[in-house]
Amino acid sequence: MWKFLLPFAAFVVLVVLFAVGLNPNRDIHALPSPLIGKAAPRFSLTDVLDPSRSVSNASLQGQVYVLNVWGTWCVECRVEHPALLAIAKQHIVPIIGVDWSIDHGEEERARASRLLQQYGNPYSAVAFDEDGRAVIDWGVTGAPETFLVDGAGRIVYKFISPLTDEVWQREFLPRIAAARRAGA
Amino acid sequence: MRCIRAVWLPSRLAALIVFGVLASAPGARALDANEQIDANGQLENPVLQARFENIAKNLRCLVCQNESVADSNAQLAGDLRRQVRDMLVAGRSDDEIYRFMTDRYGEFVRFNPPLEAKTLLIWGAPFILLVIGAGVVFRVVRQRSRMPLDDEPSPGPL
Repeated sequence: MWKFLLPFAAFVVLVVLFAVGLNPNRDIHALPSPLIGKAAPRFSLTDVLDPSRSVSNASLQGQVYVLNVWGTWCVECRVEHPALLAIAKQHIVPIIGVDWSIDHGEEERARASRLLQQYGNPYSAVAFDEDGRAVIDWGVTGAPETFLVDGAGRIVYKFISPLTDEVWQREFLPRIAAARRAGA
Repeated sequence: MRCIRAVWLPSRLAALIVFGVLASAPGARALDANEQIDANGQLENPVLQARFENIAKNLRCLVCQNESVADSNAQLAGDLRRQVRDMLVAGRSDDEIYRFMTDRYGEFVRFNPPLEAKTLLIWGAPFILLVIGAGVVFRVVRQRSRMPLDDEPSPGPL
């Protein structure tokens, strides 16, 4: 009896392991963020377009908003830019941009404001993260990354890779509606 | 080391030392990490530099995932290295730095996760597999030892 059952059990375990491990649809680099459900980290940075103005998420308390991390050096961010512009036109939630400076210099600020003037600005405000501190606080691993924050200031959802209209409709809109229902 | 010595000292002197350490801490905290980094990009304090190298080696670069923060050239790894240096200079403990990282990036950021209830399987798996393997070997050996020896010359075909 055991002679038959044990190898069979081992075989079943291996099949399950391979089915999960070798599934081509599984993104092996996807990481669950420990920040989901937690309070959004506070930041107060200068505005990319106007260094004398400050951009902080403290003033957004009570509002559902989207935070998008990008940089002019990030090719994928260029890909999602039209989708962001289209989303911004719908005026559903404010989109806060965080410009992640790769070389910790003022050149990124100039590049970013030039890019936004040339291709359009989907953001209600763009913070300039010169030394990547806010980016680390938000557990960002690369750009672009897009967060959804609810009215209680908690991170509800995080999306890694370029945003598309399809992702927006499927992942963001239902969560925004739910957050508004919970907040109302 | 310092704790053991403090026991021997008269309590007033020990209190003075403790006060001195506490009083100097805010001063150290005010210093920017950049001011304590030499031309080779190393922390001037060799103890801090050794701790920095150890921590950076044990943190996973989230961009390349199989490289450590110490080895990676990714942008994020550079930012994280600077973060670790700043925290060391500010007098934070290794545990505080690891906690800072896992709060933001999850346990996955550690190459050397601590032994806890949820990491028990990771640490225990090699031993479990060892026990299973030993069991299999034991059974096979016992079975074979029961079998009749077959090195006796068998009668050849006639």
